[in-house]
Amino acid sequence: MAIDVAVLVSVGRHPVSGRARRADADARAVELALSIAGANVRLIHAGDPGEPALRDYLGMGANTMTVLRMAPEADPVLPLSAHLSSMRPQIVLMGTRAEGGEDSGLVPYLVAQALEVPLVPGIVSLSLAGERAEMLQGLPRGRRRSLAASLPLVATVPVMAPAPRMSAFGLARRGTIEVKDVTAAADEARAAWTEGPARRRPKRIKVMKAASAADRVRAVTEMAAGKGKVLQNLPPDEAAKAIFDYLVAEGIVQAKP
Amino acid sequence: MSEERIRRDPRAERETRRARAVEAEEALAPAASESPSGRIRRDPRAERAARTGRAAEPVAAQPSAVPESESGRVRRDPRAERASRTGRATPVAPQPATPVPSGRVRRDPRVDRTAQRQATAARAEAAAPVKTVADPKFLILAVPDLEDARLSSHDKDVIGAARGLADAGGGAVVVLAFTGPEGVKDGLGEAGADRMLRFADASFAGYAPERRAAAVLAAIQALNPQHVLFPDTGVVGGDVGRRVAVALGDRAASNVQRVAPDRITRRGRGGRADFALAPPRVLLVAAEAADPVIDERYEARELPAPRTEAVPRVKDRGLAATDPATVPMAEADFIVSAGNGVHDWDAFHRVAAALGASEGGSRPVCDAGHLPRHRQVGASGTLVEPRCYVALGIAGAPQHLQGISKVERVVAINADAHCDMVKRADLAVVGDVQALMPALERIAKERRHGN
Amino acid sequence: MIPLQWLIGICVVVGAVCALWRARRWFRGQPAKVDFVRGLMRYPRSYFVDLHHIVARDPYTARMHMMVAGGFTAALLLTLAVHLFNIDSRVLAWLLLVFLALMGVGAAFVAMRRSPKRARLSAGGFSRLPWSLFAFAAAFFLATLPKAGLVASFAALSVPGIVVLLLAAWGCAEMVAFLPLGPMKHSFAGAMHLICHPRFARLGAARPDSGLKPLDLSAPKLGVETPADFKWNQLLGFDACVQCGRCEVVCPAFAAELPLNPKKLIQDLARAVDPGGNDLAYAGSSYPGRSVGHAHGGPSQPIIGDGAMIHPDTLWSCTTCRACVQECPMMIEHVDAIIDLRRFQALEKGAVPGKAPLVLAELRATDTQSGAALASRLDWAADLSLPLISTKGECDVLLWLGEGAFDLRNQRTLRALVRLMRHAKIDFAVLGEEELDTGDLARRLGDEATFQDLAKRNAATLAKYRFRRIVTADPHVFHSLRNEYPAFGARHEVLHHTMLLDELMTNGALPKTKAQPTKTTYHDPCYLGRYNGEIRAPRAILDAIGVERVEMERSGMRSMCCGGGGGAPVTDIAGKKRIPDVRMEQARETGAAVVAVACPNCAVMLEGVVGPRPEIFDVAELLLQAVEAA
Repeated sequence: MAIDVAVLVSVGRHPVSGRARRADADARAVELALSIAGANVRLIHAGDPGEPALRDYLGMGANTMTVLRMAPEADPVLPLSAHLSSMRPQIVLMGTRAEGGEDSGLVPYLVAQALEVPLVPGIVSLSLAGERAEMLQGLPRGRRRSLAASLPLVATVPVMAPAPRMSAFGLARRGTIEVKDVTAAADEARAAWTEGPARRRPKRIKVMKAASAADRVRAVTEMAAGKGKVLQNLPPDEAAKAIFDYLVAEGIVQAKP
Repeated sequence: MSEERIRRDPRAERETRRARAVEAEEALAPAASESPSGRIRRDPRAERAARTGRAAEPVAAQPSAVPESESGRVRRDPRAERASRTGRATPVAPQPATPVPSGRVRRDPRVDRTAQRQATAARAEAAAPVKTVADPKFLILAVPDLEDARLSSHDKDVIGAARGLADAGGGAVVVLAFTGPEGVKDGLGEAGADRMLRFADASFAGYAPERRAAAVLAAIQALNPQHVLFPDTGVVGGDVGRRVAVALGDRAASNVQRVAPDRITRRGRGGRADFALAPPRVLLVAAEAADPVIDERYEARELPAPRTEAVPRVKDRGLAATDPATVPMAEADFIVSAGNGVHDWDAFHRVAAALGASEGGSRPVCDAGHLPRHRQVGASGTLVEPRCYVALGIAGAPQHLQGISKVERVVAINADAHCDMVKRADLAVVGDVQALMPALERIAKERRHGN
Repeated sequence: MIPLQWLIGICVVVGAVCALWRARRWFRGQPAKVDFVRGLMRYPRSYFVDLHHIVARDPYTARMHMMVAGGFTAALLLTLAVHLFNIDSRVLAWLLLVFLALMGVGAAFVAMRRSPKRARLSAGGFSRLPWSLFAFAAAFFLATLPKAGLVASFAALSVPGIVVLLLAAWGCAEMVAFLPLGPMKHSFAGAMHLICHPRFARLGAARPDSGLKPLDLSAPKLGVETPADFKWNQLLGFDACVQCGRCEVVCPAFAAELPLNPKKLIQDLARAVDPGGNDLAYAGSSYPGRSVGHAHGGPSQPIIGDGAMIHPDTLWSCTTCRACVQECPMMIEHVDAIIDLRRFQALEKGAVPGKAPLVLAELRATDTQSGAALASRLDWAADLSLPLISTKGECDVLLWLGEGAFDLRNQRTLRALVRLMRHAKIDFAVLGEEELDTGDLARRLGDEATFQDLAKRNAATLAKYRFRRIVTADPHVFHSLRNEYPAFGARHEVLHHTMLLDELMTNGALPKTKAQPTKTTYHDPCYLGRYNGEIRAPRAILDAIGVERVEMERSGMRSMCCGGGGGAPVTDIAGKKRIPDVRMEQARETGAAVVAVACPNCAVMLEGVVGPRPEIFDVAELLLQAVEAA
């Protein structure tokens, strides 16, 4: 049974050079889509069909991409939802958030609302069992949660999902881009925003909680002194105990009471 | 081209260099805290406690529970702590949702804080007085993640941000807590909650974003808060918050970096740009966007939780069993890593398994095929960020230290007391790695599994 | 003797048919521009000079081959004259006897070479070869004796007649009738290969013809997927392989027991041309860690794959060091074949292993291998205030920094080079932010698209400025700019830094220095030595600063790779050992305290060897130490 999987992809930016490329999370969504057995993967982008970075996705092995042509900063949700409603894919995948504009991470929720289908965020794998999708959701610290939902559904793919395959130049060149002109409302609210370069916040080292000024000074210097404890000439058993106690005290391992 | 070169991240390198410079300066700095051995040392637990503001809690509640250890370090008594927590978590008698004048004098929190700062030394031994906002002009709703029934530092930042918004105009902070059946282990009052709404039903536990969103929406309907704040975390606050925003038709601001009543800053363009805008109703707040509440205690008066209904369409089938041995290195929580000093590989695998840690290794070890390549830590392998990194027989080549530059706690076991890894470590044992591994395995088996 | 005449005649006809049949399979390949007449005219020199130079590196084999090949060729022609065409001439008969005797002695040498059995030599048909040679020589020796008047002629049905006939049947079958199919096919395909060589410019060239040819990126299929995608003369080249195993002996991947054996690779490529091709008849060493018998292929089946003719790990184990090409007496171009195969994997399948896809993605997104900002290429030299050519407009020497500028280790080398150039008052400048990666790594990994993009943009930048020559401390950059950029319009004089420093020492711009009697061995970078023939300049510098220079067993044009080429560190195919460890062991054997290097990759690979080992210094660092001491 062929199952239609639509992947919504955006144009990403390299964090250092700022050059356009495939967006990392979206590329992982394409990778995940390609890994679903029997999937008929369709790529959809809302924006400028002439953007060369879109071919990075075609180079991953999908033959065609549909581009809903619209102004770069227009609101893509309505055209995307309308397009998806007409094509009725069983699964819609996309990265958790884009990396070229507002990056709100709201699009999947709005699309799921428009399509009236459940949304599953942060999945790192998906397999099909009949009309149900069985998924693993990625949690911090390497943990995974097993989820199931019936099709159709919208799911987002985080950057902890398996790495995307390399984009092959030949496939990228041969892939076709179908352009569909759509009307998208200009984003008027956005006009009132002011945009500036991202300001680096100094990394918070610690929040002071001290009874007195002297304590505050001490807290800062203590942190700055920052040298570890060195145990020497201990028998292995005692050294092992010291290490284990440290791990327990830090909450790294739990000891049985 | 060299493998070392490829994965080298010049930014990380620069950071390492900077860190070294700082270390060098610090070596010259006057020692504020000296252990009996005369060595300057850092107490990461105290630091963390200071950061999270929890240390005062046992001090206030259980002065007897904090005996000073020989080294002058505060030792914590978990049982006493637990007792104090359960005490505080006892449900307060339900009160009507509309704030009732309590008869107490309302305080200006800013004046309060100044006064408090002056009086802190005097009050160090006493519990901070409970601050109340009796008649708020508006409400700010904060929805912490409360993963594992604890307030994370991110949660506290979000409540801190809510506090800032409330304090700026005479509002109050309502914390909506999905506590789960076991209740919350941290004090919401200490974190800055004037009111709290608790949803303790087991149906909110695990992954229940649809139920949680419905609960938040019901609370919004009942309380009409000015803003609703969530931590912008992957599949908890960020997920529920977006569901709520979409249901409200509100264009939520995500990845919020700075919060003020009239202007917020949010990050976009892949982290390269900040947008400033008037705050929408739903704010998804990044970690460290605001300072948490410290040194203060708020009322955390319980409000009756509204009843909610939701039909979940995503079924949570629980946490999948993940084997620490198969967790990708970049995500691993606890890594035991081997270097050239490890010769007995069976002992190494056994000790990692006994501790429940993921295995890692230095480049030579992976080159030699003792561990697979994807286990390699360092500039040419994986840059790791576990909560704790135990380095067995790793001298600490610059490329390796680069790979662990973000690790908070490093334990080093090495025969050479002067190697760089020992210098980097928070706890270092100088001795024979071969002898230590079985000893550590034995004690881990005894104390973790009881055999 | 009528039956013998018939036998020879039939064998010649069968031989011709077999030759045509064999040649047919070469034409399953793609058309190639071949100047057949020029090839034929040049053949004697190609064979007796170019090829002989290679064969003569092994004197025993050279003598053996001269006797066997010379003896057989002359004997065959004389046999045709004396026995097929029955030209009655004592002189010819005597000559024939002499050549047959020579051939017989040669056959004995062939047999002796195979005893005791040597791993690099293939068994199978090759084990039979000395006896076949001997049978041929003996048969016609006996048959010629009467013609030379030494014995009375004997009847065909006499005992000696039957013996002669049987021996001749054996000899002629192997050496004439089925020559194009058996182990002797190397003579026929090898001759054709020399005439139609895919790198014809290589023959008689003053320096190695090693630059890769640009790929037409608008072609319908990029790179080689199936045997039929190779050029026909490449297929011919694979058939020329005589399985002598010299490539196997010198291959660094084979030495470190990575799953690559250049000999088997060429054999697999040759066998993949046949429908239902397999490696069951292969009787040499296999790819380390993999047994023979799992390869399956055909003329239009993919060559690379798990279960196909060649496993991807084999393809990606190659460091492109060209040691096999340098050693091959049949002048087969192994590395070109590997790059052609990699091009398909990278450009059409995106199947590049290890961390290579990440590095290639960074190259595309940032124009550096490490994903660093171009502006940070000069970070290490903030205190040196290197002049930018964009502000100077012109200079004598344009210093190309390369990826080494992002690496702590190689910043030391660059620093030493800059100080030496300042000392010698060279008017130099750097490109700064305008310098992009040369794309060498992308090209060796088969990503020709990224390489060409970088090459075109770098060529455009270079065209903007006026300078006399480019100097770089990276042999990979050196090779790329010197041999591969001209195809993109960038024709400049390019020098490796050791060439410049040697020049500066010779013309007195750098002072004569005190003797430093440290025992030092020099490790030749492949891309400087084998790829460009420059093995003199670095040694001249070392001799000038008075180190006690000792050579490793493998040095100069026959040096061994450090394992850092061809993208091997990023594809990271596992072997039993590591190539740099193997090389360092060779360095240790010299007892040297210092290994001098001249390449950022070699420096990093060799410094990565753990345990007690000689110190690693770039030639520029050693020279600076000496100049400063003086």
